Amino acid sequence: MYKEKDLSIDFLGIHLDSPFILSASPSTDELEIAYNGLKAGWAGVILKTTSIEGNPVPLKYPMMSSFATDHRITGLGNIDLISQYHINEIVKRVKALKEAFPDKMIAASIMGSKKEDWQTLVWRLKKAGVDLIECSFSCPQGSMGEAPGRMLAQSIEATEKVTGWVKEAAGDTPVLIKITPQVTDIVEVAKAVKSGGADGITASNTIPSLLGVDIKTFEPYPTLFGKGTYSGLSGPAIKPITLRTIAEIAKNVDITISGNGGAFNWRDAVEFMSVGASNVQFCTLPMHYGFRTIRDLKSGLAHYLMDMGFHSPMDIVGKALPNIKTQEELPSPETKAEINEDKCIGCGLCYAACNDGGHQAIDWDSEKRLPNVNEDKCVGCAMCMQVCPVNAIRMKEKLNSDMHYFAKKE
Amino acid sequence: MEEIEKTFSKEQAIVEAKRCLYCYDAPCQAACPANVPIPEFIQSIRTDNLKGAQEIIREANPLIEICGRVCPEESFCQSACTRAKVDTPIRIRELHRYITDNTNPSENLELKPATKEKVAIIGGGPAGLACAVELRRQGYKPVIFEKKQLGGIPVNEISKIRLPENISQKEVKFIHHNFIYQTKDIKITSLKELNEDFKAVFIATGLPDELNLNIPNTTLKGVYQAREILKKAKVGIKPQIFKRAGVIGGGNVALEVASVLKREYPNSDVEVIYRRSEKELKAFKKEIEEAIDSGVTFQFLAIPKEIKGKERVEGVVVTRAHLGEKDASGRRHPEPIPHSDFFIPLDLIVIAIGQKASNFFPEIEKDERGLIKVNDDMSTNVKGVFAGGDIVKGPSTIVESVAQGKKAAESIVKYMEGEKNV
Repeated sequence: MYKEKDLSIDFLGIHLDSPFILSASPSTDELEIAYNGLKAGWAGVILKTTSIEGNPVPLKYPMMSSFATDHRITGLGNIDLISQYHINEIVKRVKALKEAFPDKMIAASIMGSKKEDWQTLVWRLKKAGVDLIECSFSCPQGSMGEAPGRMLAQSIEATEKVTGWVKEAAGDTPVLIKITPQVTDIVEVAKAVKSGGADGITASNTIPSLLGVDIKTFEPYPTLFGKGTYSGLSGPAIKPITLRTIAEIAKNVDITISGNGGAFNWRDAVEFMSVGASNVQFCTLPMHYGFRTIRDLKSGLAHYLMDMGFHSPMDIVGKALPNIKTQEELPSPETKAEINEDKCIGCGLCYAACNDGGHQAIDWDSEKRLPNVNEDKCVGCAMCMQVCPVNAIRMKEKLNSDMHYFAKKE
Repeated sequence: MEEIEKTFSKEQAIVEAKRCLYCYDAPCQAACPANVPIPEFIQSIRTDNLKGAQEIIREANPLIEICGRVCPEESFCQSACTRAKVDTPIRIRELHRYITDNTNPSENLELKPATKEKVAIIGGGPAGLACAVELRRQGYKPVIFEKKQLGGIPVNEISKIRLPENISQKEVKFIHHNFIYQTKDIKITSLKELNEDFKAVFIATGLPDELNLNIPNTTLKGVYQAREILKKAKVGIKPQIFKRAGVIGGGNVALEVASVLKREYPNSDVEVIYRRSEKELKAFKKEIEEAIDSGVTFQFLAIPKEIKGKERVEGVVVTRAHLGEKDASGRRHPEPIPHSDFFIPLDLIVIAIGQKASNFFPEIEKDERGLIKVNDDMSTNVKGVFAGGDIVKGPSTIVESVAQGKKAAESIVKYMEGEKNV
C-alpha cells in the first residue's frame, strides 16, 4: 500500500478532501447520482441549477451532440436547461446529502429573475444547511428575466446588481458567480462580480457553439425533427479558452476562482490551478466515463505533488501566472529546430509542414528518408515540432555558452 | 467454399486510417510496384470519401478488386510502413479492400474516344489487362488475344477462399467492357500468327507450362499437376476423393492447392512435402497461415525419390535431407542423407514445383530459362514488340505484372508517337 497523500484544501472556508468537485450538471441532477458521485470519492457536488416553484423548464430531446477524436469526445454540446427540480426538492436533497456526507461539500446552483426570487432561493438553501451557493449567470440558452436569450454575465451592470442581491441574502454563506467566456472583456465582468460582493467566481460555463450540420439534409446537430439550435460546448475542446479566462481574471482581479470547463484529467486540473483556480469542477469527464475517473484524478495529483515536492494542492495555485506576459513583453530568443536523428522515423511530416507552411528551412533526403534543418533559413517558428509524431524535434538556442532547449507541450 | 478474410467495418477502417502518419514521400507508395498513392487514399478513408479513395487506387492499379484481396502486403507496402517504427504497420491492403468492398467501380468513368491505332496484346492476364487499360486511357485500341477466360491466374487459378469468383469476374468484366477494343479467342505462339498488321505488340503470355518432377512414375493414376487442380476447383470441379494426399513443393501454388484440398475434404489428410525447411518456404505469409489454419501438415527436409504404385499411386519414397551451403537461390541447399529413405503412403499426389516458359515466339530473344529478355522500357529485340509479366520475370505477383503492363503501355505510347513523328 502506498502512503496516502493529503489532497485536502480549504475553499472559501469549506474543507474539501481534494480539489475535485462535480459541477452543476446531469451528474448532480438526481439524488442517487449525486450520492454515487460523493461515494465514489468526489470532494463535493454543486447540485444542478434550480429555480422557484412554478418556473417552467421546457427541456427538449435529444439534447446532446458531440464531436470526437479517436473515439474520445473532444467537444460535447448540450441544449439542456436548468434542472426541472425546483427549490422545494433541492432543499430536501441538500439535507439528505449533508446528512449522508457531513465531510463533503454540498453546494447548490440557482437561477432567478426578480430580486425576491434570487433571495428566496438563497434563504431556503441556507436554511437547509447548504455549504455554498453558485449562481448561474451564464447558461448559453439565456438567463431568466427581461432579456431572453442573453446571459446575465454579458451585462456588467446586471452582474453587479444581481450579485449584490444574492450576497445580501447569503450573508456568511459563500457565493460563487458562474460566468461565461463569451464577453468582450472578462476582467470587467470579474470586477463586477467582486464589487457585487461575491466570494468567488466560477470560470467558466460552456460556450455557445454550433455542433455541426448534416451536409445531406442541412439540419444542425442535435436535430429535433430537422431543427436545431446553438449548444453549450464543453469538454477538452474548450480547455485552452478556459485557461485563458482563468488566467486573465487571476492576473487582474483579487478573487477566488473555481475552475470549470474543459479539464479532462489531473494534468489539466494542475494547469487550471497553476493559472489561478483554487479547485476544479468536472462535468464532461464523469458524464463520458463515469465517476470512477476520480481515482486517477486523485492519484495523479498526489504523485505529482510528491514528485514535485509540493506540500498541498494550494501550492500550485497561480504558479504559472508570473510567466504569462503580453506578446510585447516576451523575450526574443534566436532559436533553431534541431532534429534527433536517432529518434526520427523518417515520416517527412516536418518537411511537408515547413515546406508548405513554414520557411522552407528543412531539406529532405529521400534516399535516407531524413529531414535536415537549414539553419540559415530556419526562423525557429516550431511548427515542425508540433507535427513530429515521435518528439524527435526540439527548439534550441545558444544562451551564453550553454545550449538551451524550449519545451514542447506534452 | 467461402472467402476466409472478413472485410473491415467502417469503424475499424476509420480507426486504422487514423493511425496512418500520412508520411511525406511515403515509403509504402515507393514499395508498391504499381506506385499506388497510399497515404492519399487513406486520407480519403478518414474523411469517408470512399469514391475519391477508389479513384486514387484505380488510376494507379486497374486490378483494384483483385489486388485488394490477394496482394502480399508483407512483401510490399506494409513492409515499408513508417508506423512500424512507432508500433505496428498500417493494415494497408485491408484498407484498400475496404474501399473496393464499399464502392462501385463503374461510377464516374470518363474516357476520351479511342481514335488512335490498334495495339496487339498477347495474353489477357494481369500484365495484359493493365497494359490495355493504360493504352485505352491514352486513346489507343487494345486488342487482346486470349484463348482462355480473360483475367489470367487470378481469375482461372487463385482459389475462391482467397478471391471469390464474383469479385475477380466483376473486375475483369469492367475492364473488358470499358477498356478493351476487341478480344480474339486465338492462341498466338509466334508473331507471324498475328493476322493483322499491328505497329506495336505486347507479349504477356505468362508461364503456361508446369515443371515436372524428374522421378519415376509421375504418370501413374492419382498423380496431378497443381494448377490443373486449381483451375478445376475454380470452375467447381472437385478433386477426386482421397484419404491421404501429398503436395510436393514449397511455393504459393503448393500451399494454395494444399489448402484447397484440405478445405474440400476436411476429414482427409493433406501433407506438404518439401525438400527444404520451414524457413525456406517460398510462399507468402498468408498462404502459409491459411494452410496451417485449414489443417494442412508438413513434411520438411524430404526429397522425393520415387513414386510407388501399381495401377494407382500408393505413395512416395523420400530421402531425408539436411541443409547445406546456400545455392543460387540464396537459400540453403538440401543435401540427401545416405540410407535415410522412407515411404509415405498416399493415394493422391500433387506436383507443385513451379512453372516454366513455353517455347513460343522463336523470333524473340530469351534467357537460359526461356524467359523473354527486355530492356528497361520493356522492349524486346524486335522493334515494336514489348513484353512483360511472368514471361519476363518468371513467377511473380499480380501487382508486379500490373506494374510491367503499365510501364509497357507507357513505352508503347512513346514508341507510337515517335513513329508518327518520323
